[in-house]
Amino acid sequence: MTSSPLAIDIAFWIFGIASVVTGWLVFRVDSMVRASFLLLASFVNVGIILLLLRAEYLSLILIMMMSGEMAIMAIFMVMFMMNPAGLNPMNMVHQHRASIAAGVAAFAVLGGVGVFSHFPSRPAASTDVTMALGKELLGGSMLVFESAGVALLATMIAAIALASDRGRYGAADDGSTEPVPDPAHPAATPPAGSANSEPEPSEHEGHAGMDNMGGMDGMEQGATT
Amino acid sequence: MNAATPVWAAVLGVGVVVIAGSYVTAVADRVIEQVVARQGMRWRSALLGPARSAALSMTQGRTVTERSDAPAWALAPALYVALAATALAVVPLSRTAVGADVAAGLVLFGAAQALATIPVFLNGWSSNSILPEIGAFRFIAQALSYEMPNLLALLAVSVPAASLRITDIVISQQHLWNIVRIPLGLPLFLFASAGLAFWGPFNFPDGADLAGGTAAETSGVHLLIWKAGRASMLVATAAMGAAAFVGGWLGPVLPGWVWMLVKTSALLIALVSTRHLAGRVRIERYVVICWAVLIPLALLNVVIAAAVSL
Repeated sequence: MTSSPLAIDIAFWIFGIASVVTGWLVFRVDSMVRASFLLLASFVNVGIILLLLRAEYLSLILIMMMSGEMAIMAIFMVMFMMNPAGLNPMNMVHQHRASIAAGVAAFAVLGGVGVFSHFPSRPAASTDVTMALGKELLGGSMLVFESAGVALLATMIAAIALASDRGRYGAADDGSTEPVPDPAHPAATPPAGSANSEPEPSEHEGHAGMDNMGGMDGMEQGATT
Repeated sequence: MNAATPVWAAVLGVGVVVIAGSYVTAVADRVIEQVVARQGMRWRSALLGPARSAALSMTQGRTVTERSDAPAWALAPALYVALAATALAVVPLSRTAVGADVAAGLVLFGAAQALATIPVFLNGWSSNSILPEIGAFRFIAQALSYEMPNLLALLAVSVPAASLRITDIVISQQHLWNIVRIPLGLPLFLFASAGLAFWGPFNFPDGADLAGGTAAETSGVHLLIWKAGRASMLVATAAMGAAAFVGGWLGPVLPGWVWMLVKTSALLIALVSTRHLAGRVRIERYVVICWAVLIPLALLNVVIAAAVSL
């Protein structure tokens, strides 16, 4: 695509300002989901600036990876915080002094690099940038890095398989918890194994009242004896 | 980059494909429904029904919920359509007719698909309503499962072509289509992409058990755009499947774009018909299948692709 330098300058300013504003909004909103996705918007704007620099592959990979990462981050934050859906307002900033110091230091260092380092002024190569980037980053160790990548992925999958596989107390999605022995009928407790684990959740919902009554029976027995 | 396609023509072309593709998908869905039901064909209903329901949607107002995230909710359907259009833009209709023939086209397609997770989640989350919310969280579980096999299946086709440009990938199939050369690729890609458009057996976020899921509170024009987005995502998937695995515009006698349309339609019909031919799988089973079966198969697929292109 042939674009005039002016159009590229205008695009740079639009996406640069959008990136800074969305980055600032991350700390102004009161919801973790909003914060994650505003951070994603900031990254996407940076990705578009990379696109303007003709770093096509880097730009697209950045956008692709960040979209997955921010989705995971939003989910994990909602899961680990006492905020059931991420819609309830909450304060998103803490440790003010330390974060202000870290922010100023990071800005000074990166700004110093930007202002004082000597950047080459040659125009971007029109050849295959992706291949050049791969050679520049990994050189002759391409195979080693790729193998390490596959090994890491296999490790991740194995970890998930270990964490989610059918355990000795049933399938992971059925709870896979150790059965609590019933003191009243020690022999009658069935092992909550894979054999009879089908309708458990619905049974609990359906007979909630009866379960309660059973509990009360037990309490009465305890009181009388 | 391809200087042959002017920007206005590319934008117009992609817009036409999004609108026409959504309509064709809706018609195909109704036709297949009637064929499967075996109650005789009602062509009038199949051909005009989508137009009628689209017109109805345009006259309807918008549902209002308490303390919703209004901007995110309004923008989510638009973002989903936009990402489907972005994905469609890199798929070539013929040797010369391609919206954006970018060098890393395959990665652009993957990025658009990965980013499509966000509007689906946002559409459910931002309405601040319980059923859409559950649909949104379900979709994240689903998305994290299909993304890996989807990307691995796609990236395998770049190995024989030695390029990420989609026109190069089509040209690399001149002697042998990828479906023969890398046989696992197309089934893996279609399985993952049906999950991406949460269609048919993989409709976890917008299922009937959640009264419409993430779209339960969406109505009016927003619902129309939401449906158009899902349909265009299916079209984008079918088009990409046709280009990356069954030779795109390559074929005898007929002009290239006809072959591309034929192949895309065939894959689109196959995808759409899953809604009427297969029951919905359980999400737990889906997640296990994706992680424990499809990712190893997708890695095997990459190894096969590397072996045949040595």
